[in-house]
Amino acid sequence: MTQILFALLTIVIGVGGCLAYFYLANMVLDRVLPPRRGRPENLRRSSRIRPWIFLAPAIVLLGVYLVYPLFASVWLSLSRDGEFTGLANYIWMVQDPKFRESLFNNVLWLIFVPTLSTLVGLVAAQLTDSIKWGTIAKSLIFMPMAISFVGAAVIWKFIYEFRAGDQTQIGLLNAVVTSLGGEPQAWLTLPIVNTFFLMIIMVWMQAGFAMVLLSAALRGIPDETIEAAILDGASPWKVFWRIQVPQIYGTIAVVWTTITIMVLKIFDIVFAITNGQWGTQVLANLMYDWSFRAGDFNRGATIAIVIMVAVLPIMIWNIRNAQKEED
Amino acid sequence: MATAAGAQELLYQPGEDPRFNWQSYEDFAATHDLQGQSVTISGPWTAEDEVTFRRTFEYFEAATGARVDYAGSDSFEQQIVIDVNSGSPPDIAVFPQPGLARQLAGQGRLTPLADDTADWLRENYAAGDSWVKLVTFAGPDGQEAVYGFPYKIDVKSLVFYSPENFKALGYEIPRTMEALKALTERMADDGVTPWCIALGSGSATGWPATDWVEDLMLRTQPPEVYDQWVAHEIPFDDPRVVEAVNEFGWFAKTDRFVDGGAGGVGWIDHRDSPQGLFSIPPRCMMMHQASFIGSFFPTGTEFGADVDFFYMPPFETKDLGDPVLGAGTTFTIAHDTPVAEAFLEFLRTPIAHEIWMSQTGFLTPLTTANLDAYGDPTLRGMGEILVNATTFRFDASDLMPGAIGAGAFWTAMVDFVAGQSAEDATGTIEATWEALGR
Repeated sequence: MTQILFALLTIVIGVGGCLAYFYLANMVLDRVLPPRRGRPENLRRSSRIRPWIFLAPAIVLLGVYLVYPLFASVWLSLSRDGEFTGLANYIWMVQDPKFRESLFNNVLWLIFVPTLSTLVGLVAAQLTDSIKWGTIAKSLIFMPMAISFVGAAVIWKFIYEFRAGDQTQIGLLNAVVTSLGGEPQAWLTLPIVNTFFLMIIMVWMQAGFAMVLLSAALRGIPDETIEAAILDGASPWKVFWRIQVPQIYGTIAVVWTTITIMVLKIFDIVFAITNGQWGTQVLANLMYDWSFRAGDFNRGATIAIVIMVAVLPIMIWNIRNAQKEED
Repeated sequence: MATAAGAQELLYQPGEDPRFNWQSYEDFAATHDLQGQSVTISGPWTAEDEVTFRRTFEYFEAATGARVDYAGSDSFEQQIVIDVNSGSPPDIAVFPQPGLARQLAGQGRLTPLADDTADWLRENYAAGDSWVKLVTFAGPDGQEAVYGFPYKIDVKSLVFYSPENFKALGYEIPRTMEALKALTERMADDGVTPWCIALGSGSATGWPATDWVEDLMLRTQPPEVYDQWVAHEIPFDDPRVVEAVNEFGWFAKTDRFVDGGAGGVGWIDHRDSPQGLFSIPPRCMMMHQASFIGSFFPTGTEFGADVDFFYMPPFETKDLGDPVLGAGTTFTIAHDTPVAEAFLEFLRTPIAHEIWMSQTGFLTPLTTANLDAYGDPTLRGMGEILVNATTFRFDASDLMPGAIGAGAFWTAMVDFVAGQSAEDATGTIEATWEALGR
C-alpha cells in the first residue's frame, strides 16, 4: 500500500515538477525580457534564450547520466585503484579466454539475430497483409514485444527445461523429443547449439517489431509499380523480392540496425538463463560479472568500452538512415 | 530497563529449565553491572534470525541491565564499510564471513579482542586451533591478533539420505570415504542411482560443486594445504587440488552414479534436486548439501523418519581426522566500549549458546554447551558433527576473491562436469586468479 502511495507521489511530483519548471521558467523569462511594443530586441533575445531553457533539464540529465559516465568509464578502463595503468586492462582483456569466447558469441548473435528477425518480420509483414485474419496474426507476432527480456527468458527456460531420467519432461522441447521416442537432453548445456537456442528467444521478441515497421513501409509502396509489374507478368515471388523489397530498403536498414544495436547490448536473456555458462558468455554479461560479482570495476569498464565502441558506428548509421527516411 | 522488568519477558525463566547452564548466567550477572549503559550491534541477521538473536541477547540485558540496540541488514557488508568509513561504526559488528573483517582489521578499523581469546577458543571450541586461525588477522602494523569471535556456525559436510530407502535395500551408513565409494558402486550395481548432484542455481550456477571440492580437499589433504589453496599460496591447478576435483568427478561424472546422468548435473537446479530423495521410486539415495537445503524438502517432510543425514566421512587411509566444512558469523569490536567487551564475554558463557540452540538455525562448536539444549534432533545431529570435528575450515569459495570464489570457480566446475578435464578446468581458474589485480 505504501509503495503505491509512493509511486503516485513520485508521479505527481515528477510530472508536476516538470510542468512547474517550464511554466515558471517561461514566466521568469517573460518578466525579465517583456515582449513589449518599442522593445523589439527583447523578443529576439528571449526567443534565442527560450530553447535553451527548455533544453536545459535534458542537457543536464544527459551530462550527468551519459557524458560523465562515459569519461568515468574511459578513466576506469585505463587505471587500477585510481592509478593510471595505461592499456594494462586492455592487454589483460585480449588475453582472457572468456573475453574471446564472449566476443565470438557476440559476433554469432550479431550475424544471426538481426538477419533472422528482419527476415521473419518481412515475411510475416507480407503474408499477414494479404490474408483476412492478418490482424490477429500480427498481434500474436507482435505480443512478445510487450514482454520484458527477463520474462521471455523465464518462459523459454521452461521450453528448454530438462528433467532427469524417466520423469515427466516439463520442458516443451524435451516433451516433443521424448514423445517422438528420442532421449531428453539438457539443451542449454550443449556448446554452440545453446547459443542458438538463446538467440531464438531474441528473434521471437524482435520479429514483431520488424514486422510492424516493415508492414507500414510495404503499405507505403505505390500500387502502380506493383500493378505494372504484375501486368508485365512478374510472379508474386519476383514482385516481392524485386519490386517491393528494394523500395523499402531504407526501412529494412533501420530495422536491421536497431536490432543490431539491441543485440550488441544483449544481457538479460543470457544472464537469466545460463549466466554465460556452457560457453554462452556474451560481452555485457561478462562486464556485469567483472563489475558486480568480482567487484573489479576497472575490468568491467574496459569491457563496457569495447561494447560502446562496437555500438557507436552502427548507431550513427542508424540515426542517419532514420533521418533519411523522414526526409 | 530494570533487571527485574527485563527478566519477565525472557524466553525461559532463569533457573527454570535444567537443560540450561543457569550457573553461567548467574555468575555473569553477578560480575557485570552495566545498568543504564548500552551497546550497538549491527549484523546480517534479519527476519527469523533477528528474532532468535534478540531472544538470546535479552539475557545479556537482563543480566547486566545494559541495553542492546541491534540493527540487521540484508546488505550488511556494504553497510558496515560505509558506517566505518564515515566514522560512525557500531560498537560490535557481526560479519557473515571473515574476509571483510580481515580487510577492516588491516585498515585499523577493528579492535583486537581480549588477550586470552585465543586460549579460550582453543580450550572451549572443538577444533579450537582452526577457529583461532580463522579469526586471527594482521592489524594495521602487521601485528597479528585475534579480532573475531566465531558464534553461530553452519555445517556443510552433510550427506542427506532417506532412512527408509536405506533400510529397504539393506544399506548402512558409511563411516569412511572408502565405504561411501563402495556403497556408491554397490547402489549402482543394484540398479538404483546413488546421488543427486545438481549445480543449477540461476546466475550462481556451479556453486554446489565448490562445496563438494572443498569437502574433498579437506579429506585428501592436510588443512594446511587447504589454507594455502585458499590464500593462493599454491596454484589452483596444483596436482593436489586437481586430485580433489577428480575425486568430485568420480561421483559427478559417472553417468550411472548421478540422477540425470553426468549431463544433467550441470543443468538441474539444486533446489529441485532434493525431490529425488523423496520420489517413488526414489531417483537417488544420497545428496551432499549444506543444512539450509531442508527448506527445499517437500512440505511435511519429517526429519529422522523421511530424511536424515550423516557426516561426510573422511578417508580411512589418509589419517586426517574428522574435518568439517562450514561457514559462520564472526563477532568483532569496531568501537571499543566496556559494554561491547562485556558482550563478547557474555558470548563465552554456555547460556549464550544454549538459549539460541533451543531455538532455530544455530549451531555451536562450544564443547561446554549442553547438546540437550538443541531445539530439535536435526540441529542436535549437526551440532554433534561440529563438536566432534577435529578440524574446521571455512567455505573456501567465500574466502577467495569474488572473481574466483563467485565466478571462475563456479564456471570451471560447470565446464568440468560438462566434460573438461580437471587439469584444464583448474588451469582456467588459475589463469584468472593470476591475472587478478595485475
